[in-house]
Formats: sequence, structure tokens, C-alpha cells
Amino acid sequence: MRRMAPVPQRRTELLRGVLDLCLLAVMAEGPAYGYEMTQRLRDRGLGIVGEGSIYPLLGRLERDGLVETYRTVSNGGPPRKYYQPSSAGRVALGAGVLEWRAVRDAVDAVLAPVKVEVAS
Amino acid sequence: MSEFVQQCRQEWSRLGVPDPIAEEITIELAADLRDAEAAGMWTEEYLGASAADPRAFAASWAAERDVIPAPAARGRDRKPLVLIAFTAAAALTLVVAAVLLITGEPRIGVATTTKRPSFSPTLAGPGPSVTRHVAGANASAPVEWILLAGAAIALGFAAWLWRTWNRSGSPIQRAAV
Repeated sequence: MRRMAPVPQRRTELLRGVLDLCLLAVMAEGPAYGYEMTQRLRDRGLGIVGEGSIYPLLGRLERDGLVETYRTVSNGGPPRKYYQPSSAGRVALGAGVLEWRAVRDAVDAVLAPVKVEVAS
Repeated sequence: MSEFVQQCRQEWSRLGVPDPIAEEITIELAADLRDAEAAGMWTEEYLGASAADPRAFAASWAAERDVIPAPAARGRDRKPLVLIAFTAAAALTLVVAAVLLITGEPRIGVATTTKRPSFSPTLAGPGPSVTRHVAGANASAPVEWILLAGAAIALGFAAWLWRTWNRSGSPIQRAAV
């Protein structure tokens, strides 16, 4: 019989399906480059996500036309590639948030009666 | 440039990612890793499991962004076509060999020798010839059995190749979150 996934692994698996939404959400707050996005995610408690996974996701969002990018040269620093949601990306973000909320509410309804016992 | 970034750059070149794009994503990755390092994070801390496999990470990024040229992608699909042809040929050979064995037609001779008995001075004229089949009474059987065995082995090999192909994912699939 397959054993349940350890807590960190479960969190990673749960996040995998919504990480693109989270990225769109944090870049909707203001254009950001990759590292900045990970910082914004960390500030909201999503530090557990392997940041390596955001780059392929950013590539996919760019391929699908859900983000717009531009490059700027910072003072003395390397050129930075900034991401922001395109109009299609904002539509996708809105739809995704609605979908997430529906799933979250349904899962909550299933799990709400469960009494959690914390091992001492 | 860190070793991790260099390995990613090499992988993008190997995959045929156009140079301007490979350069762009190399700079992007290197800059973010520098930021992470400045914040006191190792590459492993910043990238998580991806740090352990730069080739898979690079391939995943390039594939998601759809910047791997078509020939490389076609090359990955060519293997099943070759396998299909090989499997079909082996199966066809197996069926043909089985039919030949069952029907016994057409007979394929392996080799026959005709030997006359040594000249006997007491007999006039040519003596009766004796035909000796090297492979026995049914000369076709060994060839058909060899075909059958060869085809069966080839089919077994094809099955192993199919299992191997189905199990081994591309580097893209190996990329971990």
C-alpha cells in the first residue's frame, strides 16, 4: 500500500497546481524579476517551494502569452528581465482564482468535520 | 558565472536553443543566483531539488518556453517509429516462419550433395547416384526454425526496448519542483 506523502512533499504537490497563479498574482502587484517573485512568495509563507520550479513556469507563462517582459539595466548590476501579467494573463489569473476558491471551499467542506489531534 | 549556470548554458547549447535566447536566460539565472547568494543562500537552497540536476533544470526551462528547435524534438519521436518498424518486421518474420513450418511449403533447401559411389570395375556404365541431404529428409526445416527462433528473440528484444522507452522519461519529465 502506498504511504501518505510527508508534509513538505504534500505541500510541494499542492503548490504545484497553483504556482502559476501565485506567480501571476505577485507580479500583478508590480513588475518583478525572478528573484523578486520568490521573495514576495516567501514573504507570504511560500518559502517551501523550490524556486527552481518558477523558471520553467515563467517560461511557460511567457510562451502562452500570459506575461509581458522587458529588460532594464540597473545601476552597476546585471540587466534584469521583468515580468508582468499581460491582459490575457490577468484574465487567466481571475479565472484561476475563482477555480481555486471553488476547490478550496469544496476541500474545506470535506475536511471541516475532521478533528485534528496533535501528537504531544 | 557559477558552475551550475555554466552547465545550464552548455545544456541549452546542446539542445539547440538559439544563442540570443540562451544568453538571455543565462543572464537571468546568473543574476538571480547572485541575488540569492548575496542574501546568504546557496544555489541548493535557492533552487531546491533542481540544483542537483542542472541538465534537467535547463531542459525543463527551455521546453516550457518552447525554444528547443524542432529537429531535436523530432529526434525524440524518431525512436518509436524505428521501434514500430523493427517490431513489425520481427512479427512478420515470425508469422512467415510459422506458416512455412506448418505447411512445409515452399521448401527452402539448405544444402544437398550428390555423391556417386566409387567406380567399380565390375559394373559397366555409370552407377546409381545417391543424394544425401545434409539437413535430413526435410531440408527446409532448419532454415524455418532458425527464422522462427530469430524472430522470437527479436520480438523479445523489441518488447524490452518498448519497456525501456516507456519507463525512461525525458530530462523534462525528470525536472523536480
